[in-house]
Amino acid sequence: MYSIETENLTKKYGDFVAVDHISFKVEKGEIFGLLGPNGAGKTTTIKMLTGLTPPTEGEAIIAGYSIRKNPIEVKSRIGWISSEVILDDDLTAWENLEIQARLTGVKNWKERATSLLKYFGILEFANRRTGKFSTGMRKKLEVSMALLNSPEVIFMDEPTIGLDVNTRATMWNLIREINRDYQVTILLTTHYMEEADSLCSRIGVINKGKIIALGTPEELKARYGGDIIEIELKNGANVNVGLENAIVSNGKVRIKVNNAETMLMDVIRAIGSDNIKGIKINKSSLDTVFINLTGGTIEEQDFDARKFYAMIRRARR
Amino acid sequence: MIDRLYALYMREAKRIFRSVYMWIMLISQPIMWLVFFGSSFSGVPSQVLISFFHTTNYIAFILPGELSISMLFVGMFSSMSLIQDKRFGYLKRVLITPTPKYDVFLAKTLGGMTRGLLQVPILLVASYFLGVRLNLTPLSLGVLFLSLAFVGLGFSSLYSMFTLKTADWQAPGVISNLINLPLMFSSTALFPKAFFPGWLRAISDVNPLTYAAELNRGMLLYNDPSWNYLGYLAIFALVMVLLGSILTNKYLNAE
Repeated sequence: MYSIETENLTKKYGDFVAVDHISFKVEKGEIFGLLGPNGAGKTTTIKMLTGLTPPTEGEAIIAGYSIRKNPIEVKSRIGWISSEVILDDDLTAWENLEIQARLTGVKNWKERATSLLKYFGILEFANRRTGKFSTGMRKKLEVSMALLNSPEVIFMDEPTIGLDVNTRATMWNLIREINRDYQVTILLTTHYMEEADSLCSRIGVINKGKIIALGTPEELKARYGGDIIEIELKNGANVNVGLENAIVSNGKVRIKVNNAETMLMDVIRAIGSDNIKGIKINKSSLDTVFINLTGGTIEEQDFDARKFYAMIRRARR
Repeated sequence: MIDRLYALYMREAKRIFRSVYMWIMLISQPIMWLVFFGSSFSGVPSQVLISFFHTTNYIAFILPGELSISMLFVGMFSSMSLIQDKRFGYLKRVLITPTPKYDVFLAKTLGGMTRGLLQVPILLVASYFLGVRLNLTPLSLGVLFLSLAFVGLGFSSLYSMFTLKTADWQAPGVISNLINLPLMFSSTALFPKAFFPGWLRAISDVNPLTYAAELNRGMLLYNDPSWNYLGYLAIFALVMVLLGSILTNKYLNAE
């Protein structure tokens, strides 16, 4: 039983392909993560799955309904949490909940809202304006609002971006708890490896609009992982790296090996110790999965934000 | 169905009632019009006033006009409110729910209308203290509110239509500049059309502000309203609201 099924889902803005024929399935009750750098197409995917923007091509079935044919049915069965917290700060927590309940058509919303506020420990602040809430409380209120209509799926777009370490840990627990206690399927997007690793039962790695790998964190690490020795070359060093599994970029050499510790000496000898400025060892993790799949770290993806948004703006006209 | 519109409208209303600046604006703007603009003719001999304005008190003449103009000006606020919702992402929150887009539009329009109608009692009280005596009966008050509600709905819709596709803060100001001044001065809200040149009179004759001003002037000052004017305003409001709803459903985007 799947909560989300996508088939060749595609979004083009003019010539620019933001999401490129992605297909994946999310089982009921799963926490599924879309992992990728900024501009990879994560938010656009969520926009299509929540019915905010129609796909250019392809299809998605959410909670049994097509986002193309029955967007209203889909919308009444999902919840959504934005990357930036979106509340009406002139209104109280309770009033925010009331609006959400009426918009999603929840009948006995008062009991539901009370029990959710109690569950998240913010019931005593119900009649306070949300403008005065801390970020953690605002996130909790947003999650309560997303749960009001007892959704089958909740979409979370970068749920922990901009949070401090403590609040992030709280948010992670919260996501696990609502997944367990409310039996809700969760699709979240993130560019934090450790977040995807610790929260998600399955991950889709997305880069430049395409899903390039799909599986549990363990499967991904077993298939695409391995240790990576990263060697920073001295300026002007001209090395002809004759090693297997080596990628050279930006004055760095990355070599995929089975066990970094035993291979390190061979590698140094091959490159020549005079050419080396620094050495870093990445033990097998989602980071190395990403490097192995794309040839660079998630931070290095040459994403030109200005070009990206200019293209989208042009296409919208 | 109506639940969604109710929720969105209540949000607009609460935001209006809770803003201190909103109240300062609501109270000060129309009163300043009456006191400063209205007094500019106070030295004119009453013979002249009667022959031009059919009343000895210019403030009484512009009161119905100023009420209509107030309804024109609030149009700007409904489009500002929509742009704010785009900017802060609130519109995304709404459009991810099964809410039809036209409900967003109707809530903004009704919010703008409400904001304008709040000025009516304020102006009526202020004018009393400025020595204006009006024909106030349940019927005349009812017609006053109804006609102004039509004007407010119509112009709020018009404004929202123009700023449907933009998220630029500057847009409502520009639109108001392009709409407000021509409509205000081509209506008979401030001056009778006796001295208008032909082209201005032509605009004046289709301008809804003229109809609102004349209807309520007839009602409040001479107790002799032209009922078909009320019909004209009702049609204006209906057409604008329908057109706005259709365009919103077609063109409104969350960002």
